Amino acid sequence: MAHLPDGVLSAPVLIGGGVIAAGVLTIALRQLDDQRLPPAAVFAAAFFVSSLITIPIGPSSAHLLLNGLMGLLLGWTAIPALFVALLLQTAFFGYGGVLALGVNTVNMAVPALLCAGVLTPWLRRVAPHRVFWVGASAGMMGVMLTGGLVALSLILSNAAFRPAAGLVLLSYLPLALVEAVMTGTVLAFLQRVAPELLESSQPPDLKSPQPPFFKGGL
Amino acid sequence: MVFAKGGFDVNQIKLLLLICLGAISSTPALAHRLQVFASADGVEIVGSAYFAGGAKAAGATILIQDAAAQPLATLTTAADGSFRYRAQTASDHLVIADSGDGHQAQWLVTAAELAGLNPQLPNLKSSQPTVSKGLVEPTPLETAQLAAIEQAVARQIRPLREELAAAAARASFRDVLGGIGYIFGFTGILLWWRHRNPPRS
Repeated sequence: MAHLPDGVLSAPVLIGGGVIAAGVLTIALRQLDDQRLPPAAVFAAAFFVSSLITIPIGPSSAHLLLNGLMGLLLGWTAIPALFVALLLQTAFFGYGGVLALGVNTVNMAVPALLCAGVLTPWLRRVAPHRVFWVGASAGMMGVMLTGGLVALSLILSNAAFRPAAGLVLLSYLPLALVEAVMTGTVLAFLQRVAPELLESSQPPDLKSPQPPFFKGGL
Repeated sequence: MVFAKGGFDVNQIKLLLLICLGAISSTPALAHRLQVFASADGVEIVGSAYFAGGAKAAGATILIQDAAAQPLATLTTAADGSFRYRAQTASDHLVIADSGDGHQAQWLVTAAELAGLNPQLPNLKSSQPTVSKGLVEPTPLETAQLAAIEQAVARQIRPLREELAAAAARASFRDVLGGIGYIFGFTGILLWWRHRNPPRS
């Protein structure tokens, strides 16, 4: 449940989310790396579709988020990819409100950036057979941080959501485990078939230009 | 990928195909957008809360509001997502479903729908005359018959209305393909824009 609909959040939270989302998007677009755009499109498409496969949990239901994996592999480019996919989910499926788009983007994108920042250094020096654990951590972090941010948006909007927010976090736990196994498996698979995808992933760095995503370059 | 110099890497193609296949072969089984449907059945408002795509929303809170946004009742849905509320007046009733974790949906049961089925209910808008003086006033018997017919028709078309509402909320295969198309289209336009030839000076 990462898509908050309209009519649930308060105006300050909506505006704050919109401003932060706009800021993060601007930074991300400034350092857009052309080499990463095709894989970003592939991941955006996978993210867009993954929201349709849901697991019912309690009164709600959850689905894979993929934001940890996207952050780890795409760095800053994950932000526009997530934003476009969320925008299209709102337009095509009605998931998440139009006004809540900013908040929803922040809730998905900030964990992706944190995953990139924290786990990329580890990914670079880890032994190949342990790559699974980097992926598992990324999946776990992405889901739980998003869960925390969703809970925070609800609590900041209305104190009456406090018990519900706890429920949200709890319902994210089984999902986090599934996502951890999935992300770890994907990353281990990538390590086997296309290790260059992992080597070139960079921590989010504002100053240094990113190296080409693929070995050959343009 | 197309940007690799010297042709495609087999592994990259394999990976891309795998991701694309995974994305396309996944059938939209369930989705997690809360929906609510309600209609008048006699004096009762009967409805159900469900997630777009099928799953029933059990234990969701249903708030019934009148036209002035005053809460009339708070209900909880049964295991199959259904709920009932006995209307007191033939006015607009706004049904708001809330699954307690930020999901919310609403449905309006109009005054006309309730009034047509229940001529005996007090109508809040009955101040304006609905029958002009030139016409013959219907007798009480006719009124009762009309209400019975309206009720029978309403009951018959209820499943259709419910089906229609659910179909409108369900994501179709076309939506999925359309969205994927947009994503790759955006990317293509962006790449073209960034790689277009600079104008000759």
